Amino acid sequence: MRARAGWHPWAMLGPTLALLVVFFILPLGVAAYESFFAWDLLTAPRYVGLENYRALAARGELFAIALRTVGYSVLVVTAAMSAGLALAMLLDRPGRAFAFVRASVFSAYVVSWVAVALLWMWMLDADDGLVSRLLRAIGAPSVALLGDPAWALPTLAVIAAWKLTGYAMVVFLAGLRGIPPALGEAAALDGARPWARFRYVTWPLLAPTAAFVATTLLVTSFQAFDIVRIMTQGGPAKATELFVYAIYEQVFLDLRVGRASALTVVFFGLLLALALLQLRVWSDRGGSRDAA
Amino acid sequence: MRPVVHLPPCSARLLRRDVLLGCAAAALSPGCARQERAAREAGRIVVPFWYALGDLVRKVLLELVAQFNASQARVVVKPVHQGDYFEALAKLRTALAAGVAPALSHVVLEVLPYLARAGVLEPLDRYEGASDMQFVPALSQAGAFTDGSGRSVFGLPFNRSTPIAVANGRALDVARVAIPSTWDELAEAAGQLTRHEASGEVRWGFEVPVSWWYWVAMMGQAGGRLVDASGRLVLGGQAGEKALEFWQRLVHEQRAMRPPPGRDYQAWQSTSESFLRGRAAMIWTSTALLRYLEQNASFPVVAAPLPRQVRWSVPTGGTMFVLLRSAPEEEKLAAWEFLRWMCEADQTIAWSTRTAYLPVTLPAVDRLRAAGWYNRHANDRVAYEQLEHVDPWPWAAELFRVERDAVDPLLEAAVLTGRNAHETMQEARDEARRAA
Repeated sequence: MRARAGWHPWAMLGPTLALLVVFFILPLGVAAYESFFAWDLLTAPRYVGLENYRALAARGELFAIALRTVGYSVLVVTAAMSAGLALAMLLDRPGRAFAFVRASVFSAYVVSWVAVALLWMWMLDADDGLVSRLLRAIGAPSVALLGDPAWALPTLAVIAAWKLTGYAMVVFLAGLRGIPPALGEAAALDGARPWARFRYVTWPLLAPTAAFVATTLLVTSFQAFDIVRIMTQGGPAKATELFVYAIYEQVFLDLRVGRASALTVVFFGLLLALALLQLRVWSDRGGSRDAA
Repeated sequence: MRPVVHLPPCSARLLRRDVLLGCAAAALSPGCARQERAAREAGRIVVPFWYALGDLVRKVLLELVAQFNASQARVVVKPVHQGDYFEALAKLRTALAAGVAPALSHVVLEVLPYLARAGVLEPLDRYEGASDMQFVPALSQAGAFTDGSGRSVFGLPFNRSTPIAVANGRALDVARVAIPSTWDELAEAAGQLTRHEASGEVRWGFEVPVSWWYWVAMMGQAGGRLVDASGRLVLGGQAGEKALEFWQRLVHEQRAMRPPPGRDYQAWQSTSESFLRGRAAMIWTSTALLRYLEQNASFPVVAAPLPRQVRWSVPTGGTMFVLLRSAPEEEKLAAWEFLRWMCEADQTIAWSTRTAYLPVTLPAVDRLRAAGWYNRHANDRVAYEQLEHVDPWPWAAELFRVERDAVDPLLEAAVLTGRNAHETMQEARDEARRAA
């Protein structure tokens, strides 16, 4: 289709492009520029070259934050996808009871992160929390999951996965309903057992849905902030300091705009690398399908 | 039927341009540029006051502001809550950068040198009556910082406090334990007061937030100073390490101290809750929380000075009132009028007795003494008398950054993981020098 005038496509794209430039490209450019300065918003910015990057890298902070964030995201995506898929398979049945359970599981997703964080803080309280009481009831010692540097991050990941499972389940349910039942029935007639039917019929047809769920969960988990801010403030001993919280802490608590900007640029680079990797995987899959 | 008006093309273009210009002007002028004149409300000068206090303290403050507003017809103070101290500071700094800072706020003590160096604070010496104010020396800017009398006054003491030891009187009686006055006694008492129930629950002998303020107190008690005679940041040298080792000993060897979960004020809140629920027999907290603990505990609350190692030492904390230089002149004058009123004995007494923040002026203290307040409120007397052992802070612009960036995260990690204290403090010293 050819545009009647050369400027028409630009006019159509204009509003989106303007928003993209104003709210994404321009701020990113400003952040990249400010990452070369030491600035506290009050006194004049001082050019320091790559010092902000060097300081972050020299202390091992940058690597630690990146590793923590990736680890947290992997845990969240894996747990939420697995639980979401399992629940979708179990609950993809007619009847009010199943509908009620589906709605209950999904309800956690619509609750705000703040409410989720407060609820779990109460449940995980080392002295009076529900988890500690249950542990004591069975004779086990109570544990401070959020106060232990080794357990705090996995605990946050489990809580995030709990909240996001409902979302993964609903998307998987939609994917499952798009698969013609006749395919499963034909496989069953051919003697395929339930696992084989899932492995060779359902899962391949769910792959695009799974890719979508994985991508959106990855983006959500990389942006984790509320849960960290409310439950741990990055502690104990920085064990839960993820990228977005680290940026917030640098700029608003430590008053280092330059260092926060350097973290932002690295965060963008990491996300960009992951997005390119994902595009590559998708294009490879598309290519192999085309070849088949 | 509505009349239809057809604008000529030229008028339509003009109208669009006018609308755009109008929007731009509206977006830029009131929000981004500081007005030269103070805002008025029914002829009274409006003073925006950003504050960072919650619960009981917030209630008392708002009542005092309302009382001031009702007491005269020239000024109206408008308090705006801005979260906790650090959130309020972040907002204040952003507002300063955007040119929309309020005339009046209060900031944590450690950040005063930083804001003063940035040139955003109004020197208060020139204001009428400034030199007549008789502050409690340890709580004024002059006494709270080393060489404090040699520079302009940028902050007036407002909600000022020190760390203090607080014990569950009933637990002390049952265990026949005296309130400790040395580190060794503290370790022994904490061990005696720690109790493991058959249900698996633990009543800890001692709890204190593993954070800068309390570490500074212990470093001082072990004989150290944050900076040496030449002004170099040494973080107490060996005394700083001793303080950390003492915490590690209580947590890992004696298992008599629980480091509370959370950071900053969440850890403080957690400590108070442990104490009130009877899960910690002794805590270190702020004098500012004495009233809250007294009013909410189901047992007698006994306050004591922090124990000494080689000497007594406590830092001061809390906030100072500041005027922001960027505010219109008449707004600053109006804010000063409020500050003078707040520093009068009546208001100082009301603020101090209702909240347990330390009374900041000498006339207020004299009146409290004369009225027998300290005989009736032994905990308040302990808090006030502990001011004798205050160690002033160095006037260092990067002090708060040393706290947040170099010391706090390392202390927490070392106490939780048992990392070598010397290595930890050496790293903290290196970090602190880089930060400074």
